[in-house]
Amino acid sequence: MNELLIEFLRGFTATNEWAAILPEIALGVLALSLLIAEMVLPNKHQSLVPRLAIWGQLGVLLLAAGAVSAGLSSERVAFSGMILQTDITHMMRAFFLLSSILVCYLGQIYLSKQNLPRTEFYALVLIISAALMLLVQSHNFVMFFVALETVTVAFYVLVAYCRTSQFSLEAGLKYLILGAMSSAILLFGIVLLYGAAGNPGLVASSTDALNYSELTNFVLLNADNAIVRVGALLVIAGIFFKIGAFPFQIWVPDVYQGAPTPVTAYLAVASKAAGFIVLMQLLRGPFIGLSDFLVPVLSVIAAATILFGNVAAVTQRNVKRLMGLSGIAHAGYLLVGVIASLSVSWAVYAVIFYLVTYLLASFAVFGVMGLVAGSDDAYQELDQYENFARKHPFLGGVLACGLGSLAGIPPLGGFIGKLFLFVAAFQAGLYGLLGVSIIGVVISIYYYFGWIRESYFSEPSREVQTDASGAGSPSDRFLLGTLVFATVIIGVLPAALPIIP
Amino acid sequence: MTVGLNAFILVAGLLFAIGLLGVILRKNTLVLYMSLELMLNAVNLALVAFSRYNGSMDGNLFVFFIITVAAAEVAIGLAIIVALFRLRQTVMVDQLTALSR
Repeated sequence: MNELLIEFLRGFTATNEWAAILPEIALGVLALSLLIAEMVLPNKHQSLVPRLAIWGQLGVLLLAAGAVSAGLSSERVAFSGMILQTDITHMMRAFFLLSSILVCYLGQIYLSKQNLPRTEFYALVLIISAALMLLVQSHNFVMFFVALETVTVAFYVLVAYCRTSQFSLEAGLKYLILGAMSSAILLFGIVLLYGAAGNPGLVASSTDALNYSELTNFVLLNADNAIVRVGALLVIAGIFFKIGAFPFQIWVPDVYQGAPTPVTAYLAVASKAAGFIVLMQLLRGPFIGLSDFLVPVLSVIAAATILFGNVAAVTQRNVKRLMGLSGIAHAGYLLVGVIASLSVSWAVYAVIFYLVTYLLASFAVFGVMGLVAGSDDAYQELDQYENFARKHPFLGGVLACGLGSLAGIPPLGGFIGKLFLFVAAFQAGLYGLLGVSIIGVVISIYYYFGWIRESYFSEPSREVQTDASGAGSPSDRFLLGTLVFATVIIGVLPAALPIIP
Repeated sequence: MTVGLNAFILVAGLLFAIGLLGVILRKNTLVLYMSLELMLNAVNLALVAFSRYNGSMDGNLFVFFIITVAAAEVAIGLAIIVALFRLRQTVMVDQLTALSR
């Protein structure tokens, strides 16, 4: 009996793969310990909670970096095909951790202006971060769905977090209904693929039909099957909703405006990035056999997304809606990169590079927005930025650099990001899409510079008073300065970011 | 008499279409919610049918995950609807237009 037990334990340790997802487990534990800390700590020490969240995540970042340098960086399949870790998923881990750290910091600024419960915000941000990491690692549709829904359900709460504001609640309701609908559409696609791939009457059918590798083999041999095609289209439609691509973008402006500013930033950066990585994994994995059928569809959608996002953003006066609509345009550029990645393999890294520059620039802009915003978070008009740079020279500079990088002005990181994407598109021979993207970039310079003009060159109609309110604490300035510095460094020395091999 | 796979898939497809039309056309958020549940249950029906006819258990297992997720979604959704009703005294979508103005 005793020996049996020892044998069992030995077998258990031999197949023990939990170390593969150590950073995710650590994040989950950290999220729970924040909730415990809130209960245990006395009232005057409650300000320790956000610090614990931010420094804890920096610890997890070190842990993840340590796991990579300890030789776990090679490709490995874990949990009997549920998870596939590659160099891309390791990069995305750092990406999601960085964005959730910044969201926690912005959340601290936001929550100091509101009378709301605080700890749950950080706990939810950490849980989303862990689920996003698992989402990009998933190699099986069950894993994919559970990770995706963990992200989405936590985002429903975060978008509606300001429950005293009708804007936030309305945004939450809209996101919830459209999000649940897109999840259902995505699920129906998965079911059709599962049903077709498991059918013993078809060639290359599999008993493990939800696994990506098995599906890849099946789809390659059954690319003409109507059910497979409809299933793949439905899955892609569900993902397009998450990234806000053209026919599924209706929720973006409203939700971005109503959600608390840090949540808007999180949605714009991390949620969208995960959507693109998943889309690339699916298109280059299970749906590779359908490329001939999918590429024309994707190209039309990418062009429409770029044009719609840019044209709709031109007339926008609310800066949160402006960021949302211009985010749709950025999704369009990234889609061009995704299409290019089907024939040019380094385009995958160009997409990740673009996402990193987008993260740095967006968080610089959202950070300034968070500092400028009053207690009514949904109301942030361009008019509030009149004479902004004269009142706050430092924040004005940060805003100008962030917007310049988003528009793709040469010495900044956003320019290099766009350059890599467009070179990849050129190598892939996507000349039409390249033309549309360049038209889009030209339009985007107009509205980004409209914002900069508002803050720098507006008529000093009223007397400019240099008030200290809303200028930010030294640590805010340090963080924003670091983001701008990183943007400039990437723009001058792209090799400083070791993403493109 | 045995019922074929196609019959199950047809019913599932019909349920899904009814749910989708409900989400698009109805105005009451609670009815929207019922329609969303209908879509998820159509997916469940298709999964169980495929699982039975393909002879693998994955589909049956997947259904449990979907039911759990749907329950979590409903809990959060109803909380948001109740909070919104307290502020606005309405659950009709066409009156919740504070953001699109």
